[in-house]
Amino acid sequence: MLKQVMAIIRRELFYMWHDRGLRNILLWGSLTGLLLLYATYSAQVLKDIPTAVVDLDNSSASRELVDKIGQAEYLKLVASVASYDDLQELIKQGKAVVGVVIPENFARDVALGRQTRVLAVIDGSNMIYATNASAAVLTVTRTVSAQAGVSALVARGVQLQQAKAAYQAFDFSEEPWFNPALNYAYFLVLALALNIWQQCCTLAACLNVIGERGMKSWLQIKASGISKFRFFASKSIAQVFIFMAIVLPLYVLAFGVFKLPLNCSWPSFLLFTLAFAIAIHSIGTLASSFARNAVDAARFGMIIALPSFVLSGYTWPLEAMPAYLQKAAWVLPQTWFFQGLNYFAFKNAGWHLMSHYILAMLAVAAVCYGAAAVFIARS
Amino acid sequence: MRQILNIAHYEMLHIIKEKTLFLMVFLVPLGYAALFGAAYVTAVLNNVPIAIVDLDDSKLSREIAAAFANSPHFKVVDDIKTYPELQEGMKNGRLRAGVVIPEHFEQKLARHELTRVLTVYDGSNLIWGYNTRKYIREVFNEFTASSTASYLAGMGYTKNEIRSIMDTVSLNTEVWYNPTFSYTNFLFLGLVMIILHQIGLLSVSLTVTREKERKTWLQFLSAPVPAWKIFTGKAIPYFAANFFNYALLLWFASRFVHVKIGGSPGLILVLGLLYDLVITGAGFFISLHASNSLQVTRYVMLLGVPFFMISGYTWPGTHIPAFINYLARLLPSTWMVLGFRQVVLKELDMSYVLPYIRALGLMAVLAVLPAVTFAKRLRPRPQGGPVLNNGPSYPARWK
Repeated sequence: MLKQVMAIIRRELFYMWHDRGLRNILLWGSLTGLLLLYATYSAQVLKDIPTAVVDLDNSSASRELVDKIGQAEYLKLVASVASYDDLQELIKQGKAVVGVVIPENFARDVALGRQTRVLAVIDGSNMIYATNASAAVLTVTRTVSAQAGVSALVARGVQLQQAKAAYQAFDFSEEPWFNPALNYAYFLVLALALNIWQQCCTLAACLNVIGERGMKSWLQIKASGISKFRFFASKSIAQVFIFMAIVLPLYVLAFGVFKLPLNCSWPSFLLFTLAFAIAIHSIGTLASSFARNAVDAARFGMIIALPSFVLSGYTWPLEAMPAYLQKAAWVLPQTWFFQGLNYFAFKNAGWHLMSHYILAMLAVAAVCYGAAAVFIARS
Repeated sequence: MRQILNIAHYEMLHIIKEKTLFLMVFLVPLGYAALFGAAYVTAVLNNVPIAIVDLDDSKLSREIAAAFANSPHFKVVDDIKTYPELQEGMKNGRLRAGVVIPEHFEQKLARHELTRVLTVYDGSNLIWGYNTRKYIREVFNEFTASSTASYLAGMGYTKNEIRSIMDTVSLNTEVWYNPTFSYTNFLFLGLVMIILHQIGLLSVSLTVTREKERKTWLQFLSAPVPAWKIFTGKAIPYFAANFFNYALLLWFASRFVHVKIGGSPGLILVLGLLYDLVITGAGFFISLHASNSLQVTRYVMLLGVPFFMISGYTWPGTHIPAFINYLARLLPSTWMVLGFRQVVLKELDMSYVLPYIRALGLMAVLAVLPAVTFAKRLRPRPQGGPVLNNGPSYPARWK
């Protein structure tokens, strides 16, 4: 029996290698994706948000404020323009994301203790820029208001120490856990590359059944008397083996060369990946078991694989999605995998949680393989 | 004209008769848009689960806890009281943020000793991370302002005096184009453009491969019909269907997902027509040169993710290396998603959108030109070796 299984595995590997399109996709798809995405996110942290200033006062006080803005976390002064209209133009053209307008008589008003309003404008059209810019502006706001308030109190005869005490009620520090530098490449690159990998694997798995039953050689296979279960199980072993073989260089590159975080152990992470590889293979097998042809099988498989990353909650959180969609998303193995990627690679959430995730993916696989077996048996 | 309409009619019959293709052309785009719309419909990330580890249990620490509890952005998880519980909650996803108020915090503050409140947030998902950091700063800014006001009131200042002191320099922030920080406004229409790109390209790129597989392409090649008429006739149904989907998805986005769609309808129309033309032309060209439908389907389906990510629509182009930016500029999806945002979200006029229209126009010419002037000859079959699924056929149930 083992000899027969090995022969089918060898045959499957031969077929996969000689399917040039599939070979290209499996060999280069996810690897190219990883390299391209790592290069795209090579800046890693969103610093140096382009900031423009309109200093209508041009006094030493206003220049001091401009310096403070320039030194603010994540902001970078790129332009100093003469008017509000010019600033508007820069933001429209996308050359500045943050704009600060210091009004006329700023220094005089501050010196006389009169109220003065500085305007900060943020381009909200790109949320990644906007949330970072907004957080940076909030810090500037606190500092600037506090310094102006202290000066106003001192001007009213309050002792400097007491004036400072009024504004420095307490201090707070921020610690981003699991990704201390808020590195966007850590967050997204591997997940996106694995998303491409799971799409490539789904495409390959979509040939599992129709790739045989759609060929005239199927008659020979049937006539040879080999059991369908043994035949497709052997083919599946070969395909899942290939899926794992192509994810290995991806992991070596991601964790070994690019130093993306992997806080759980390698063996457990590989086991977790194996469970996912089996689950997506089962979906492809199911699609290929009822499809009329290989193109339809690829379409059916990809209809699930394509939107699954968005639905997995890896980026926009599941908790922010409607309850019915959350429930539906947990049916997909991609949700278990990409959620697990976050929990295990970043947080090392422990074997107890991981085993739960692995079992869930294997349960999906059991259902899909079972359904595929029914389709195969009926045909 | 009659010849073109005949070919278009024949192609339309194919779309209608082939159920999967029909569903893909007319249902899948709306299905995907509905799915993504449901995912992003909440638009703003609120109710971030946060724990307050209050090791001081003083009046001030309770006020800090109340400031977070009263914020619409946070939802305090009450049963987490210790630092180890906070660590565990952050690991298992019950929490996305935490505030740790140290022991003797109020006393130390009164004695002007060094002490600080620690705030932590989950940086492993930066959508949580960026938003939570912003919310934490907002809460602390508000809390600091109110405690300063109380302090000044304690010093005997009147309300007006306090306002005058505290607003000596006030920094007002205006967020343009997307003032509510809506994630839906930011992302949804970009995804819609990628859906249209993928489904459009996938549908039209099967138009010639299907003929090759059925061995009917030879009839087109040998018929006395010029290449441009074959392209036009075959492209019309897909062009029309893609544009129908473009209009349908925009209507759906505006009506049901409440995405902001402002700007000039004329510009939206022009961008849509050019994008559709590029996709149709490129799809036909791909179809001419691909061996079979399986090959096309496999390759085209994998384009969506990398095309979208390198476009600069999410991670900004200013932070992407130049060579990736150059590569992205060769793709119609990049110009469409960025140009479309200029129109519908930023509501900019023609002068700002012109570069995008020019680029898409040039691409439309480059895509359509080879499609209308293709050489009417049969390409030789691929030679050599036991190559699978690479000829003009692929596995299908035989009848």
